[in-house]
Amino acid sequence: MNKQSSKKRLQDAGQGYLFMSPTLFVLAVFIIGPILYAIFLSFHKVQLLGDMSFEFVAFENFARIMEDNRAIIALKNTAKYVLIVVPTQTFLALVLAATLNAGLKGEKLFRIVYFLPTLTSSAVLTLIFMWMYNKEGLINNLLEKVGLPTYNFLGDPDIALNAIMLMNIWATAPFFMVIYLAALQDIPDSLYEAAELDGANAIQKFFYVTVPFLRPVTSFVVIMGVIGTFQLFDQSYIFSGGSGGPNNSTLTVVLLIYQYAFKSLGTMGYAAALAFALAIIILVATLIQRKFSKEESLY
Amino acid sequence: MAKKKWIASLGITTMLVGSVLAGCSGSDEKTSSNGAGEKVEITLAGWGGNPSEQKLLTQTIADFEEKHPNIDVKHEVISEQYMDVLKTRLIGGEGPDVFYLDALEAPALIETGVVEPLDDYVTEDFDVNDFEKPMLEAFQVDGKTYGFPKDYSTLALFYNKKMFEEAGVEVPKTWDELREVSKALTKDGVYGFGVAPELARLYHIAQATGGEVVKDDQANFASDKVVNALQPIIDQHNEDKTSAQASEVGANWGGEMFGQGKAAMVIEGNWAIPFLADTFPDVEYGTAELPTINGEKGTMAYTVGYVMNAASEKKEASWELISYLTGKEGMETWTSKGFALPTRKSVAEKLGYDKDELRGALVAGAPYATVWAEGKNLPIIMNNFNNQFIAAFLGDRPLDEALKEAEEQANSEIQ
Repeated sequence: MNKQSSKKRLQDAGQGYLFMSPTLFVLAVFIIGPILYAIFLSFHKVQLLGDMSFEFVAFENFARIMEDNRAIIALKNTAKYVLIVVPTQTFLALVLAATLNAGLKGEKLFRIVYFLPTLTSSAVLTLIFMWMYNKEGLINNLLEKVGLPTYNFLGDPDIALNAIMLMNIWATAPFFMVIYLAALQDIPDSLYEAAELDGANAIQKFFYVTVPFLRPVTSFVVIMGVIGTFQLFDQSYIFSGGSGGPNNSTLTVVLLIYQYAFKSLGTMGYAAALAFALAIIILVATLIQRKFSKEESLY
Repeated sequence: MAKKKWIASLGITTMLVGSVLAGCSGSDEKTSSNGAGEKVEITLAGWGGNPSEQKLLTQTIADFEEKHPNIDVKHEVISEQYMDVLKTRLIGGEGPDVFYLDALEAPALIETGVVEPLDDYVTEDFDVNDFEKPMLEAFQVDGKTYGFPKDYSTLALFYNKKMFEEAGVEVPKTWDELREVSKALTKDGVYGFGVAPELARLYHIAQATGGEVVKDDQANFASDKVVNALQPIIDQHNEDKTSAQASEVGANWGGEMFGQGKAAMVIEGNWAIPFLADTFPDVEYGTAELPTINGEKGTMAYTVGYVMNAASEKKEASWELISYLTGKEGMETWTSKGFALPTRKSVAEKLGYDKDELRGALVAGAPYATVWAEGKNLPIIMNNFNNQFIAAFLGDRPLDEALKEAEEQANSEIQ
């Protein structure tokens, strides 16, 4: 009896793994394999073109990051970008969701309109914004009409990154808004009624009922935001034509990785090291974020 | 019962895994049929040009196929990020047999050994000496020739005749004159001179006073001589305010800026001539050789060559194609409409571009032009130069300081 059941369990397990095997195979080949290969590359000096060569250099690639001015600039730019974009887009998403949840007229229409930017591909979006930012573009035309000085948004190193930030906040906030909206509609009305009985006004209700209840969702939104913003690439690539200029102001870590991996020959190992370092940074940032929001979890 | 199920699930899984595996192990086998009489297909990769240019190339290839009935040419156009795509494909062993290679990228790619040396293929009647020497040298390393230049362009001064008439000035012969003339031409929304603040366009100016931008394959553009040579470009933009780059007036490049009438003069190459004819046919303009610096003539030359993949399995057929495309006959067809200038002296003579009203100035620049190619690290050096030069150009920091930083960065990347 006992033997029988343990054999059956083994069979069940075996069957389960067999069913999973196609997925496991795909995972191994397309996800785990490349990750391991990237780690392998990051410890080597690699020449892929022509006579392929791998030379083991231990931590030399990682040491080089510290001495690389452009890597430091890229990291600074990216950090600045994350620190500004993530809180702003989270807050904006929350506010947008709250207004949509307030029961206004034409709510459904607004929901669609707000969500539209998310549907546009980021490459198209960037091109449209570049046209707007252009010296002769929409924004400068409007500025001119109201008698304000025009500005070279694309060419000024001090402004270029901010211009990308603005665009990205505008484009990603609606996506998180939808997530917030779903969570908002989950909050039981009884909580608000109870608060009302205690004499809370609208603002108090928002900060003492809505915001605490949304904490797990906020945690999710922030983590996704951090991961997404750390990986900023396409916008700054299109913006600067792949150079990260003007004056390195739109250079991000991923753009730098791309440049080292594909633009110059023989730096694939260094690019892998940079990518690995970025993965660790994102991991640490996510862990810190989780630590902070853990004890505040509702459930 | 249970056993049967087990076998059934095993069967299904095996099929699934099998199909995945089959999907992965694609068709690697190449048909290496070089036998006589059999058709050989070779691939030719390049970037796209404008439609009329494409038509010329198609025509040239069709002529070739007619003369070589056993060779089929598959023309592939890589429209974006040409070098990235090409490198990746070469690494993956899926590179084209014959491809375009910009002189700028040539030394680094040749060093890796993926480009086939062509000396053994060249025959007497191919007539190597017919090529313009500087253009050919761009594809030579250690005395071996790795490619033949398909065409080239130099830079010339494009000037708007109407604006010059209105301002009552003459076409400048020297850079000092150009700066003076710009003052007279600049007015309300029009800049005297449209400038492209990048190394590819400024290289010859940077070296005009004896400085060296690249020394022993290292960046050297922060040397006093180079900085002094480039300072006037910065001064004209920031002090005189008589020059602007295209993005400052909402244009994408110099030719567009010139066509829109936002600059009275620009320095552009042959590519601007068909562009202006197509897009701004009403602009009346002339071309002149570039202004001299310290009495010395100078201009840039850009060239692209056809090279052969060293891993190609159809080298004989590939050479047939290269020799036709860069040969007297193929080159004549390719350059007949003036989208590109022929690198063969005999073809240039035959087509009479040296006497052409607009192209004459470009052809005249060929003998003294500096070819845009200098060792394998030029792409890195160019990137860092452009990145910082623009900061100085916009007046954010002094030129010497900006270039010093860019030079250090470039050399740290090169080591």
